[in-house]
Amino acid sequence: MSKSFTRALELTGQYAGLIAFTIFTTFPFIWATSVAISADPGNIWLFPGAFLPTDPSLVWFKRVITDIPFKDYLLNSTIISFWTIFFTVVISVMAGYPLARLRFPGRGLIFIGIIATMMLPSEVAIIPNFVTLKHIGDFFEATIGYKLIGLNTFPGVFLPGVAGAFGIFLMKQAFEQIPQDLIDAARVDGAKELQILWRVMVPVSAPSIAALAIFTLVNAWNEFIWSGIVLTSRDKYPLAVGMFNDLTGPFAVSTSMVMAGIVLSVLPVLIFFALTQRYFISGLDGAVK
Amino acid sequence: MKTSSYTAIAYLFLAPALILMGVFTFWPVGYNAYLAFNDYSIADATATWNNFAHFKYLYGEELFHDALKNSLLFLLVVPVIQVAALLVAKLVNNKLPGMTFFRAAFYIPVITAISIAGIVWLNVYKYDGILTWFLQSLGLIEEQINWLGEPEIAIYMVMVFTFWKGIGYYMVLYLAGLQSIPTEVEEAAVLDGANAWQRFWKITVPMVKPTILLCTLLSTIAALKAFQEVVVLTRGQADTYTALYYVYAQAFTNFNFGRAAAAGLVVTFFCVLLAIVQFRFFGEKK
Repeated sequence: MSKSFTRALELTGQYAGLIAFTIFTTFPFIWATSVAISADPGNIWLFPGAFLPTDPSLVWFKRVITDIPFKDYLLNSTIISFWTIFFTVVISVMAGYPLARLRFPGRGLIFIGIIATMMLPSEVAIIPNFVTLKHIGDFFEATIGYKLIGLNTFPGVFLPGVAGAFGIFLMKQAFEQIPQDLIDAARVDGAKELQILWRVMVPVSAPSIAALAIFTLVNAWNEFIWSGIVLTSRDKYPLAVGMFNDLTGPFAVSTSMVMAGIVLSVLPVLIFFALTQRYFISGLDGAVK
Repeated sequence: MKTSSYTAIAYLFLAPALILMGVFTFWPVGYNAYLAFNDYSIADATATWNNFAHFKYLYGEELFHDALKNSLLFLLVVPVIQVAALLVAKLVNNKLPGMTFFRAAFYIPVITAISIAGIVWLNVYKYDGILTWFLQSLGLIEEQINWLGEPEIAIYMVMVFTFWKGIGYYMVLYLAGLQSIPTEVEEAAVLDGANAWQRFWKITVPMVKPTILLCTLLSTIAALKAFQEVVVLTRGQADTYTALYYVYAQAFTNFNFGRAAAAGLVVTFFCVLLAIVQFRFFGEKK
């Protein structure tokens, strides 16, 4: 058996395996897409037939947009994700800087405390945080007459998660790699700590901040359990909660509509992923936190 | 003087993180433990000591025992997902055309919201869904099967979903491990006449052993904490309660916060135990 023949055999096997596995990971979405763009739902449960659209049209997408407040959900997801990213980045940058670059009493203890939170299952905080948010909401209601933070508010959704060990640790590591000379030069020039952080540290660490923002966006966008508990009115639901409730509840009877709803929900994530995929799958980034 | 001024600045910078973590991360640990020993009334927000009643109840309740059993059963996902992720990572870790596409295809389930992905799978698993039709057209089954409705198989179907959703994540971790193996090692083995199977077991596996350990621990913890897939797919029907789903259901369908907190405490205990093992192994390396 010649060497090139063995190589060709190996390659064929490799691609066969890859294609088989691609079918496994993507078939639900391919099926959903095919059903969603078929005006006629007659074939959607037949095995190979369902994967080919019959009578292609966008009619089911129009039904989703008119019958389900899809655009409201999309807007809510965007608002929640935006504030989650904003606060996560600001808080992680501010906390990462002193932990990486300043000497002060209590530093070691604080760092260990933050890292220790990674051991706790965050799910167990759901009940206490629910109670805490209820009290905070009552407090705001009583003092300023408006529930700024509390149950059924957007800050109630994102505030509990924005100060996390992952973000702080990531920024601390990024700041540790910056040469001390850069900081010393800024200090000699009379820069205050806040100026050093904002003018020197942040621009140099832009790639790490981008990575943190991207991971935070995906997590915030996909978050489902906590938002579903905190938010009680339908007009505040993000996509992951609103679409799930609608597509498993009142609209579950029309599989075509369910699938169109799924395609519309997955589409923003896919577009975003196509633009930023090197952050996720290059394998070399700090994926191992 | 210099140090003291830094101290003030450092704590000023740390203040937002410390306050938020204090309220939403550290306080819940204590409060959850407190709730576990009390009867909590949601209406008037009062807690009354109940002399371990929740723990006594959990000790005797079959549903909680089944939930714990299912969480342990969920550990079956760990070896399967690890072996598959390593194999897949190995397949996409080369310079052949199309590898970016395949990596992306395997990663798509990871970045999809679990609720949205769950809806498609609900339709895959329906008694007249695509899985039934697929197996029927292959002639493997004759009856229509309600995959999420039969107590004997439902929990395994949930595990298949977990596998589908998570494999891309571990693939990326393994990819990082594989990329640290110098190519010369493999090339030398090829020259020595080692076949792909031998190279995989004699070179790849020993050299990514640290990644294997890390991923195994991560997925063990994730398996013990599995409950979102249950919320999405079965809502605990057909014997699919897991430990954390029990906590969730007690809290937000039964509104028994105290009992839920007690069950949560049991889960926390096991998770922290595993996390300590994890830190023992990887503490110095981080």
